[in-house]
Amino acid sequence: MFTAEGAAIELDQVAKRFGALPVVASTSLQIQPGTFVSLLGPSGCGKSTLLRMVAGLESSTHGTVTIDAASPSAARRLKQVAMVPQQPGLLPWRNVQANARLLLDVNPRTTPQHHPDPRELLAEVGLGDFLAAFPHQLSGGMQQRVALVRGFALGAPLILMDEPFAALDEITRAEMRELLARLLQQHPATVLFVTHSITEAVHLSDRVLVFSPRPATIVADIAVPTERPRPSDPEDHPAFIALCAEVRHRLHQGMGR
Amino acid sequence: MSRLRTLAPVIGLVVFFALWEAFVRVREVRPFVLAAPSDILRYINRAPRDFFDASLVTAQQALIGFVGALLVSIVIASPLAAWNFLERAAQPVLILVQVAPFVAYISSVVLWLGSGDPPARFMAGLICLPGFVFAAVAGMRSADPASRELFASVDASRWQVLWRLRLPSAMPSLFTTARLNVGLALVVAYLVEGSNFADEGLGAIGKRALGQTIGDAVWATVFCMVVLGTLGLVVIGLLEKWLLHWHASQRSGAPSATQRAAR
Repeated sequence: MFTAEGAAIELDQVAKRFGALPVVASTSLQIQPGTFVSLLGPSGCGKSTLLRMVAGLESSTHGTVTIDAASPSAARRLKQVAMVPQQPGLLPWRNVQANARLLLDVNPRTTPQHHPDPRELLAEVGLGDFLAAFPHQLSGGMQQRVALVRGFALGAPLILMDEPFAALDEITRAEMRELLARLLQQHPATVLFVTHSITEAVHLSDRVLVFSPRPATIVADIAVPTERPRPSDPEDHPAFIALCAEVRHRLHQGMGR
Repeated sequence: MSRLRTLAPVIGLVVFFALWEAFVRVREVRPFVLAAPSDILRYINRAPRDFFDASLVTAQQALIGFVGALLVSIVIASPLAAWNFLERAAQPVLILVQVAPFVAYISSVVLWLGSGDPPARFMAGLICLPGFVFAAVAGMRSADPASRELFASVDASRWQVLWRLRLPSAMPSLFTTARLNVGLALVVAYLVEGSNFADEGLGAIGKRALGQTIGDAVWATVFCMVVLGTLGLVVIGLLEKWLLHWHASQRSGAPSATQRAAR
């Protein structure tokens, strides 16, 4: 049912309203296993709500979400969905290694038998010497690397990221993009990635979904055909710049400019 | 430097006693009003065993009440932290326990639980309870929302959230309250020992001495109480250092050895 390369996701006329306020307008969408999809839109447009509905943390007012033929809450119960939040959310009383294991340790009965070794993952992201360090001893970038590893350690076919690099400085962000791309080559999964950064979206994604202001609707679905592994300095390539320009135009169109 | 920090409470105590001694000597205060530390020590030295045993009894009553209150408060606080309505409903009861002058109903409790240890332990626990409950509820509520979301994303059970997230989050505030409650538990145990028709404990000695207006004896029990309270604070400080090493309150400005090693 769940493939190693990632989960297939289907949204069928999914809509969400908070009371009288429509947040997500009827949205239908199909995502192939192993695809990296960015959700790009103005802030407060409802894309995070959409992400939370896929995670099973929020129910839809209308329509259905399916993750490899299962409901989001069923997938959540089987630990098939890994979240990487905007704030690292590390537990200050757990050291790096214990934080990386957190999602495995919680509800251990449902932990999948085959999952990557968190220690190996930590070594892959350059934290092999920091297993016993505590979060307060780490820089913001290092903390977010632990949060990435915590997500990947579950070995889930679907990874949901809600602006995971938004709080980092530009240099660290570029580093984290590289790191994420490398991790995904080793440990493939379907990724939904909420972001405000056009270059980040184009650099990382196979598909960029551009959203309108609230209530969220998809105004453009742009494929990024660049082969992987991608160059680490995408800004040097005219094709990359052209794609970024297209995404930016569609974003502004969607915002009525 | 760190040794000096560990000894700080002891140094504080010595300075305090020196000032006390000087005050009594210079102002020639009468013993019943305030005895000098040197007189108190001399008095205790006449029957050190009695005071040691009595201190152990009082310490035990206070400790049992204190630990009992801590455990009960965690049991009470977890539903209160999860359910706003329940917390609001429980608040007046907790305040009532806190503000009711317990000296007024000690005799009722003694009638109910009998003489001796049970009322002392019960009262020490009861008076510590509201503070612990308030601290535990506030601490459990302070759990990082991002972490809560993370726990929800793998369908963590309430028990898991309590054990792995809420309880550790409550530790800093519980430790703060523990410092206050150490003294409170001791004082309540002392007072109940004066009214529970038992012959044991510092409170019983103090009560008898008051009746016979022996100033030195009263002040000797006070002295023992100060020592017990200080010891209690030292123990809590050590536990805090061990269990709360990750918390900002336990870090000084300079990076720790592990931090330097990590870099």
